[in-house]
Amino acid sequence: MRLPPQPGEAIDRTTAFTFTWDGRSYPAYAGDTIASALAAAGVRVFSRSLKYHRPRGLLTADFHDPGCLVQVGDEPNVRAAHRRVEPGMTVRPQAVWPSLRWDVKSANQLVGKALTAGFYYKTFIKPRPLWPAYERVLRRFSPGGEVPAEPPDGRYDQRYAHPDVLVAGGGPAGLAAALAAAEAGLQVLLVDEQHELGGHLLWGDDGDRAALRDLRGAVAAADGIEVLTDAVVTGRYDGGRVVVLQRSAPGVVERLVKARPRVLVAAPGLIERPYVVAGNDLPGVLLSTAARRLVNRYAVRPGQRAVVLTANNSGDAAVGDLTRAGVDVRRVLDARRGDDVVRVRGRRGVRAVECSDGSTVACDLLVTAVGWTAPTSLLTMAGGRSRYLASAARFVPADLPDDVLAAGGIVGDGSTADLVAHGRAVGHEAARRARGLPPAHVADLEPGPHPELFHGRSNGIVDLAEDVSADDLRAAVAEGYDSIELVKRYTTATMGPTQGKLEAVNTIAVVAAATGRSIEETGTTTGRPPYVPVSLGVLAGRRYQPVRRSPMHTWHVEHGATPLVAGAWIRPDHYGDPAGEVCAVRQGVGIIDVTPLGKLALHGPDVADLLELLYVNRWRKLAVGSVRYGVMCTEDGVVLDDGVTGRLGEDRYLMTTTSSGATTVEHWVERWLQTERPHWQVHLVPMTDAYASINVAGPRSRELVGRLTDIDLAPEAFPYMRVRLGRVAGVADCVVWRIGFTGELSFELHVPAAFGQRVWEALLEVGADLGVRPFGVEAQRILRLEKGHLIVGQDTDGLTQAYGAGLDWAVKLDKDDFVGKPELAWQRARDDYLVLVGLQPVDPAVVPPESCQIIEDGQRIVGRVTSSRMSPTLDRAVCLGLVAARLSEPGTTVTVLLPDGRRVPVLVMPQLAHVDPEGVRLRG
Amino acid sequence: MTRPARYSAYGLARRGLTGAAWPPAWRAHELRPSYDVVIVGGGVHGLATAHYLAAKHGITNVALLERGYLGGGGSGRNTAIIRSNYLTPEGVRFYDRSLTLYESLAADLNFNVMFSQRGHLTLAHSDSALRTMRWRAEVNKLQGVDSELLDPAEIAGLVPHVDVSDQPRYPIVGGLFHPPGGIVRHDAVVWGYARAADANGVHLHQDTEVVGIDVVDGRVRGVRTNRGPIAAPVVVNCTAGWSSLVCELAGVEVPITTYPLQAAVTEPVRPFLDTVVVSGTLHVYVSQTDRGELVFGASVDPYPSYSTRGSLEFTEGVATHVLELMPALAKLRVLRQWAGLCDMTPDFSPIMGRTPVDGFYVDIGWGTYGFKAGPVAGETMAELVATGTTPELIAAFDLARFAEGRLVGERGAAAVGH
Ligand SMILES: Cc1cc2nc3c(=O)[nH]c(=O)nc-3n(C[C@H](O)[C@H](O)[C@H](O)COP(=O)(O)OP(=O)(O)OC[C@H]3O[C@@H](n4cnc5c(N)ncnc54)[C@H](O)[C@@H]3O)c2cc1C
Repeated sequence: MRLPPQPGEAIDRTTAFTFTWDGRSYPAYAGDTIASALAAAGVRVFSRSLKYHRPRGLLTADFHDPGCLVQVGDEPNVRAAHRRVEPGMTVRPQAVWPSLRWDVKSANQLVGKALTAGFYYKTFIKPRPLWPAYERVLRRFSPGGEVPAEPPDGRYDQRYAHPDVLVAGGGPAGLAAALAAAEAGLQVLLVDEQHELGGHLLWGDDGDRAALRDLRGAVAAADGIEVLTDAVVTGRYDGGRVVVLQRSAPGVVERLVKARPRVLVAAPGLIERPYVVAGNDLPGVLLSTAARRLVNRYAVRPGQRAVVLTANNSGDAAVGDLTRAGVDVRRVLDARRGDDVVRVRGRRGVRAVECSDGSTVACDLLVTAVGWTAPTSLLTMAGGRSRYLASAARFVPADLPDDVLAAGGIVGDGSTADLVAHGRAVGHEAARRARGLPPAHVADLEPGPHPELFHGRSNGIVDLAEDVSADDLRAAVAEGYDSIELVKRYTTATMGPTQGKLEAVNTIAVVAAATGRSIEETGTTTGRPPYVPVSLGVLAGRRYQPVRRSPMHTWHVEHGATPLVAGAWIRPDHYGDPAGEVCAVRQGVGIIDVTPLGKLALHGPDVADLLELLYVNRWRKLAVGSVRYGVMCTEDGVVLDDGVTGRLGEDRYLMTTTSSGATTVEHWVERWLQTERPHWQVHLVPMTDAYASINVAGPRSRELVGRLTDIDLAPEAFPYMRVRLGRVAGVADCVVWRIGFTGELSFELHVPAAFGQRVWEALLEVGADLGVRPFGVEAQRILRLEKGHLIVGQDTDGLTQAYGAGLDWAVKLDKDDFVGKPELAWQRARDDYLVLVGLQPVDPAVVPPESCQIIEDGQRIVGRVTSSRMSPTLDRAVCLGLVAARLSEPGTTVTVLLPDGRRVPVLVMPQLAHVDPEGVRLRG
Repeated sequence: MTRPARYSAYGLARRGLTGAAWPPAWRAHELRPSYDVVIVGGGVHGLATAHYLAAKHGITNVALLERGYLGGGGSGRNTAIIRSNYLTPEGVRFYDRSLTLYESLAADLNFNVMFSQRGHLTLAHSDSALRTMRWRAEVNKLQGVDSELLDPAEIAGLVPHVDVSDQPRYPIVGGLFHPPGGIVRHDAVVWGYARAADANGVHLHQDTEVVGIDVVDGRVRGVRTNRGPIAAPVVVNCTAGWSSLVCELAGVEVPITTYPLQAAVTEPVRPFLDTVVVSGTLHVYVSQTDRGELVFGASVDPYPSYSTRGSLEFTEGVATHVLELMPALAKLRVLRQWAGLCDMTPDFSPIMGRTPVDGFYVDIGWGTYGFKAGPVAGETMAELVATGTTPELIAAFDLARFAEGRLVGERGAAAVGH
C-alpha cells in the first residue's frame, strides 16, 4: 500500500502513469522501480524459484534481489527492484506456465525431498535412449527470460577515463573520500550503483538526510569530481584498469567506462545477509534494509503485521520505520539476547512466524537484520585478500596493494560522522598516493561486535537464486563433496545471478559446520569478474570492425565488381566474367588491383643478413635493381610465406608478402629483429597502405605501360626479375617490377597510394585500343593455377615443409644458416611426406572440388586436391594437389574421391605448370 | 570391494522419503608407502586411467594424487565440447572412440553425465575456411564419422538466431555440421569416474602434490609428495596445464608451451540454441546448457603464461563476435568469466605413451581439446600400463614423433573449436 508522502522519498508524485505487469495495468510514479510500484499496488509474488517453483517476492529490494527477475519487453532478467519503471512498460514474469499464480511446475515441491543436491546425476541414467527426451523436459525447467528473435533497438557505447582517483561507492565514506581527493586538487570519478548518491543514508532518518544534504552539496560544488550514478564497478583488471558499467547514460542503452585511475578507493558499504531458516524464501520475508528502503524511499507499506528479528541497529531502525508506516509490529525478536526464529509458515506468503520461545505469531511480514557481508570481491580481483573476523561475523579486507584503498563500511563500523571521517582520511591518502608519495597508513575503522548468525535450527534456503537449501549443502558434504569448490559445483550454490553476494558467506558457514572446520579454514571461493552481470551489447560497444579498401575501391564498385571479403580487405572478386578476364590477360592485357599485397620497406646495412636468415634461398648477391622470389619457413621448416623482394638501392629493399600473410610476416620480421638479432641495423616500415599496387599482365603489357612511363621497358633494358624506379602516368616515386604471378609478361606497379586511382584510370584509358580489361581475384587464381604457382596456406598446410611444397630448387642447405634449416636438412633425407604436384583429371570436364581426398585401396587417404578450376586457356580441368611422395612420379594415376562418392582417375603431371611450363611467355 | 549405492530415480525417492543419506561418492585414505601405479593429476584423464586400470585390468593398488580438489584443473574449467570431426585420420579415429565411450558413460558409471548430442556446427566465413571444412568432412566420411557441409540457408534453419545475411563484416558462407557432437556436464564426468575408481579400490588422494620424481638408472622408482614419499614402479603424468613441470621432475623434456584459455557464461535464458556453434574466423564458440546459460569460449590467450585471471579483452572480444553472429543477444548479460591452462603441442595433437624414463608414462599435451578425450585416453593408457603394449589407437601420438618428424597436424580442426 502507498503511504502518504515521506520526507526522503524518491518518487515524484506529480508524474503518475501506468504500465503493465503480467497483462494487467498498474499505476506508478516517476522514480518508482518496477517492484516498488507493484508492491505499492499490493503485488507480492514476482517470480517462481528455480527448482521447486516456489513463489518469490521482494527480499533485498535492490539490484541484487534474487526473486525479482522479470522480462521487460524484449529484455530478459531485468532487476525489477532496481530498474525504474517507465510509462507504458510491458513487464512479464519469467519461466512460468501457465501463469505466475498457477505454475504447473510448482508440483516439483511435492517431490522436493527427492530433488536434493545433484539429483540429476543420480537419475535419468537408464534407459539410455530416453535421455534426450528427459533432457528436453529438464531444459523446460531452466530459468530466465526470453531472448528476442530480432536485434534490440539502441546503441551501446564505451568510453575511456583517466581520473586520478576512482571512488567506487557514493555513501558517506565514498562521498567524503571523493571530496578529500578533490580538495587536494585531483580529478575524481565517483561511481555509485544506486540512482542517487547517498548509500544507506538515502533511507535513513532525519539526521542521515541532513548529513547527506551537506555531503551532496559539497560534491556538487567541488571542482574535479565527475559523478556517475546507476553505474557500477564491474571489475578491476590487470594493469590497474577499472571497468564501470553505466546503466543509464543519455542517448545510449548502456556505456562501459574503462578507467585507469592512479588509485582505486573501494567504498561499497555492506550487503545485508539473509537468514537461513525454514520458510525464509516466502514472499513477505524482508531484510531490514529492504523494509527501510520500501518505506522511506518508495512510500510503500510492505505488510500489515510484522515480526522483526534484529541483531543490529539496522533492524532496530526498521522497527521504528515500520511502526511509523502503520505496520503492526507484533513481536521484536532480539538476536543479541538469544531470541530466534524457528521457522516461517505460509504457502504463497508469510502467514506466521514460529519463535524460539515456542510462540507462533500470525503476521504477513518477517523482517530480519542478522548481519552483513563486506563485498570484497573487487579487492580480491585487485590482488588483495579477505580475512574472517569472527567477532564481527564477517570477512574484512586485508593485504591491499598500494594503489587500492578501502573506505567506510567495507572496513568497519561507526556513526555517520565516523564513516565520513574515515572516508576523508582515505581520500586524503588516495590523493597522496596518486601524487606518487610513499604509502602511509590510514587508521582503520574498527568493525563492531556482531553475533554470528547464519542459519537457524530448521532447513532454509541458502541460495535463493539457485534454490539450494542448507540440507542440500550438508548432503553434498556427506557425499564427499566436502571442499567449498566441490560443494559449489555439486549444488550450484553461489553460481546464479546473485553471484554469491547474498549467499556465499552463509554457504561457507553451513559447510564449515557440516565439516567441523572453521569458517576461516573453509575459505572462500575465487571472486571473478564481473562484479555484476554485464550485457554483451555494452561489452561489444559500437562494434567497430576495421575494413581495408584500396584507393581504387570506389572505381571497382562503380564498375560492377563483385566484392570478395579477403581477411580485412574487400577486393573485387571479378567484374562479371572471370573466364573472359583470364582470356584477356592471356591474349592481350589486363590489370588487377593487388594493393593488399604486404609491402615492407627495409633499410640499413644488415638487410641482406636478415633476408639470408629468414628466406630459405640466397640473397647476398642480389644486385641493386634486381628482385628475387623468396620462401620463408618457420623453425620447423613449414612454409610460412612467399613473395618477391627487390633491392632498390645500396641499403634499401622492398619486401612483398602474400596478401593474407602480410601481418604475420611483419610480426615475424619484427620478432627476429627485436628478440633474436637486436644488434642488427635494420629499419622496417610497413608500406602496404602507402602504395596502391597494380599488376599489368599479358603479352601487350609492355606496350601499355610503355605509354605511361619514361622507364625504358625494352627487354634488354628491363629484363625479367628486375626493378626500376620512375614515373608512371606522371606520378613520381613509383616502383615497377617485372615479375609474373599469372605466368604472363607483366609489370607490377607500386604507386603512392593517393595516386592509385589516377594511374589505374590512366592505364584503362590509354590501353583502350589494346583491349585492356580489369581482372579480379578469381581470374588471378585461375591464371596462377594454370601456371602452377602455389598459394601458401591453400596448396600448403600447417605441416607442409619446403620440400613438400615442391620448392627444392629454392632451399639452399649449403647456406650458413637460415630459419628452418635443420628441419629441412632432415626432411630432405626422408621421403615420408606429401608432395605438391600438378594434377589433371582424366575426364577433362570433371573439376574435383578443392579438398577432395586422394585415396588408395578404397579408403586409405594418400593426399588431397588443394586447388582446382576449369582452365579457360586449356578448356579442361586443372589442379594442384598434395600426394604421398611415392605417388608423385609423373604419369601416375591416382584416385580422387568426389563429395558425391564418385571415384575419378587423375593423372600426376610432370610439373606444376599446366600452361607454358617453359616460362616463355613470362620472359618475353 | 563394496559396490557403491546404485543411483536411480527409485533410490532418490526412497531416500527422499526415509531421509537416509547417500554414502560418500569417494573416501579419504592414508598414503600407503607404495603402490603398483601412481597417477599424478585428478582431472578426467587421471581419473579415467585409474578407473579403467581397476575395472578392466584388475589393477587396483593404485594411487591418484591431486594437488587441489578433484577436477580443479582444466577438467572443471572447460566448455565441455565433445566431437570427433577432426582433420587427420589418426585424430578422427581416436576421438570417435571417445565419443562412443561417452555415449554409454552414464550407464557404465551409473552417474548421469548428461551427454547432450545436440550437434556441433562450425561456421565458415571465407573460401579458405570452407575448403578446410570440406577437407574435414571428406576425411570424416571416410572414417564413418557423421559430418557434412551446410549452406547458409540450411544453417539458418538449424540455428534461427544466426545472421546468415550479407550484413555482417564477415558473412557466413557455409558450415560443417557434425550431428553426434555436443556437450557434457564436465564435473559429472570427473565425479562419475572418481566414484567408480574409488569403488574398485583406487585411492584418491586430494590435497596431495607431487614435488619430486625419483629416477634411478633410467627407471622411475616413485614420487615425493607434500604428504611423504611413495614408491611405485609406474608413474603416469596426467597433469595437463602443469605437465611440462611434472615431466621436468622426472628429467623428461617435452615440446609444450602453456597458454591460458578463457571462457565465460551468461545469465540463464529460456532454451533457444540447440546446436554448439563455432566460428574460427571470429574466434568464438557458443552453446547453451540445460540450465539455460550460454557458454562462450575462444582461442587461447595471445601469450604463454600460468595466470588464470580473466581479462576484459576476452569478454569484449567474445561479446563483439557473438553479436556479429547473433545480434539479437545484445541484452544478455555475462555472469562469470574464468581461465584455465592449456599445454599446447606444436601439432595440436596429444603426447601419449612411454618416455625415455622407464615406467614414467605421459598422457599430456591436451591443449584446448582434451576433455572430450578423457574416456579414450583413460582406456588406452590403462591398457598400455597393464599390458606393456601401446594400443594402435595412440601409436601415432608418441613423444618420439617430434624427434622423428611424424607430426599429426590438427591445428586446422582444433585451434578454436576445441
Ligand atoms: C576454458 C577452457 C575450455 C576448454 N574447452 C574444452 C572443450 O570444449 N572440449 C575439450 O575437449 N576440451 C576443452 N578444454 C581442454 C580440457 O579442459 C583439458 O584438455 C582437459 O580437462 C585436461 O584434463 P586432464 O585430466 O588431463 O587435466 P586437468 O583436468 O587439468 O587435471 C590436471 C590436474 O593435475 C593437478 N596437478 C598439477 N600438478 C600437480 C602435481 N605436481 N601434483 C599433483 N597434482 C597436480 C592439477 O591440480 C589438476 O587438477 C578446455 C580448457 C579450458 C581451460
